[in-house]
Amino acid sequence: MPGLTGIMYMAQQSLDATQGALDVTTNNISNASTPGYSREQAVLSENTPTEEGNLTFGNGVVLEQVQSIRDQMLELRISEETQQQSSAQAQYNGLQQVQALFSDPTQGLGADLTSFFNSINQLSTDPSSIPQRQAVLTAAQNLASDFHQTESNLDTIQSGLNQSVGQTVSQINSLTQQIAQLNGQVGEMQKLGQDPGVTLDQENQLIEQLSQLTDVNVIQTEQGFSITTAGGADLVTGNQSFALQTSTVNGMTHVLSQGQDITGNFQGGALGGTLQVRDQVIPGVLNTIDTFASQFATSINNAQAQGFDLNGNAGQPLFSVTAGAGAASSLTVALSDPKLIAASSDGTAGSNGNIANLMAVQTQALPAGADPTDTYANLVSQTGNLTSQAQAEVNASTVSLNQLNDQLGSISGVSINEETTNLLSYQRAYEAAARIVTTVDELTQSVLQMGASAPAAP
Amino acid sequence: MRVNPNIAPDLLNNLNQIELQQQQAEIQLSSGRRVNMPSDDPAAATADVENQAEQSSTDQYLQNTSSLEGLLQTADSTLSSVVTSLNQAVSLGTQGANGDLSASDRQSIVQQVQGIQSSILQLANVSYQGSYIFGGTATTAPPYALDATQADGVVYNGNTGTNNVQIADGRSIQTNVPGSQIFQGAGGDIFGALQQLVTALQSGNTTNIGTATTQVSTALNYLSDQRVFYGNAINQLNSNQSFLQQEQVNLQSEDNTLVGANMAQVATNLAQTQTAQSAALAALAKVIPESLLDYLK
Repeated sequence: MPGLTGIMYMAQQSLDATQGALDVTTNNISNASTPGYSREQAVLSENTPTEEGNLTFGNGVVLEQVQSIRDQMLELRISEETQQQSSAQAQYNGLQQVQALFSDPTQGLGADLTSFFNSINQLSTDPSSIPQRQAVLTAAQNLASDFHQTESNLDTIQSGLNQSVGQTVSQINSLTQQIAQLNGQVGEMQKLGQDPGVTLDQENQLIEQLSQLTDVNVIQTEQGFSITTAGGADLVTGNQSFALQTSTVNGMTHVLSQGQDITGNFQGGALGGTLQVRDQVIPGVLNTIDTFASQFATSINNAQAQGFDLNGNAGQPLFSVTAGAGAASSLTVALSDPKLIAASSDGTAGSNGNIANLMAVQTQALPAGADPTDTYANLVSQTGNLTSQAQAEVNASTVSLNQLNDQLGSISGVSINEETTNLLSYQRAYEAAARIVTTVDELTQSVLQMGASAPAAP
Repeated sequence: MRVNPNIAPDLLNNLNQIELQQQQAEIQLSSGRRVNMPSDDPAAATADVENQAEQSSTDQYLQNTSSLEGLLQTADSTLSSVVTSLNQAVSLGTQGANGDLSASDRQSIVQQVQGIQSSILQLANVSYQGSYIFGGTATTAPPYALDATQADGVVYNGNTGTNNVQIADGRSIQTNVPGSQIFQGAGGDIFGALQQLVTALQSGNTTNIGTATTQVSTALNYLSDQRVFYGNAINQLNSNQSFLQQEQVNLQSEDNTLVGANMAQVATNLAQTQTAQSAALAALAKVIPESLLDYLK
């Protein structure tokens, strides 16, 4: 059975434990709006009781540990979902720019294509008219400049995305370096038996930022988080980080890990999304435009060659174009004399017989499989569908990311109500323990007076 | 169950969604279009490309139709004048076949027929906007010239070419008949018949005059047959014009269905998003400071 001093000592322990718990509560309240903060809990437990005969006496309370409340699986799940969301968002941002090039049906490539054929059609009503022939040349020039414009806009979008690849890589490197440092701290703390909660919070924040940039696999080991790219290239192992390098291939920034080109391996995160648009979508559209420009120009030139110009000579090519990559940019109008449009099929000025051949290009399939208007419509459909898919993906992953964050918040978030309740109960506990100290003090005085003689009557 | 105490991000996200919808409604209202970017509705945007191309071609077909109408009407009214002249020639021939006529009377008839000859020559050389319309596809020079060495007294410098102009998708129309077919066809040679009439009148042989007059009248009938081509073509253009105008209306209404915004609905949506926004803002303002602490004062 503890003596009065023992009780006093127990009360003091209770004061200490409660003060510690108050400290944890205060820290929780202070960090209620800190991003990534996981609430902490004061773990109080009973001291080992003392047994005397068949009596058991409790020995008070001790603050065993301060534990941060987290769900590591959920945090990893959030990291994965963040990669998907950022990838979709980056794709959407890039595709928005691409689809804007094909968004207006009343001007640009699509509209000028129809205007070109309209000008030829108009020429059929008066094939020897110089103004109407000039109109055909002007329409051809508009069309050529649309091809140039579209290709150069796509190039601009592509090089903008390319710049952001380099920036993203250096952000990734800075993040992995910080994570490796924190891994080192976590290791040290765990050796000392401390709760690394605060450092883990910071690491989780950094991993979330990293997940926004690229797709990573995160494994928790005893040395903290081990991080690799989805393709398996090491980024962080223990307290060591591996920086990604960049090199320029054909004007495009490629990403290297320890000397190996891993550009094609990125799927998630802003980097994956950006690379997807830069290396898949835009080259695809450019290829379509180039094939389109070269096949269209060749078809018109072939039709020209079947007829005769206003001077009665065999038709010369209307367009000059090179095949292959860059065809759209190379497309120019080769003729400057309106008389050289080959409207005639018999060499006489009044014949419009060859216009049927020129007009046929509008409705006949190009070698690539679709007629010119359909080829353009396919571009609209392709870019529109890709953009709307990316948009749908952004929306879907935002919804599930919100749900996951809600779920994590329900586990790790600081509830002011809960903390206030704790604050009150710890306050009362502290007051009660303090009261015990006072009570024991009074008891001790009574004991001390027990030995003294009764005070003389006044 | 413990719930996520920090609901502000959710509320903010809702607010963002509402503002996005609001923005979309505003864009739709101001543009009048439901599809402003291909991703808004890829299928409709694609169909819209075809629709716009079709509308633009239809406009062009309408222009072709009206410029051809001028050409064909000029040809038709020219031929109508030729018919009038030939009718005169027939009645002059009938007069000339009268054996009681004096030589001087007959001479004056000869002069009148010669006048008709030269006016028909001029009509055959008529041009529309600088192009000669009866020379086949040789439109830069007058198709007919006087030539005394020819039996007909004229020579045809044109060709037998014809032009076709597209006036609707897959529909084209022939726009000319060569002069050689109209004026010197197998069924009736106008210049030849007139030349024979002059020769017969000059000779005073009433039998020959009668024969020549019959030939002129045969040529007249043949010309009337040829003229039917132009009449038909003009009718065809007129009906084509109504067809194209109807087509334009159809295409525009189709376009509106494809990509046009339903204004009443969009305006309602906008009003709804405004209400939702006020509600979300109110919730956001109320929720954040609310906690147990408020009741402990």
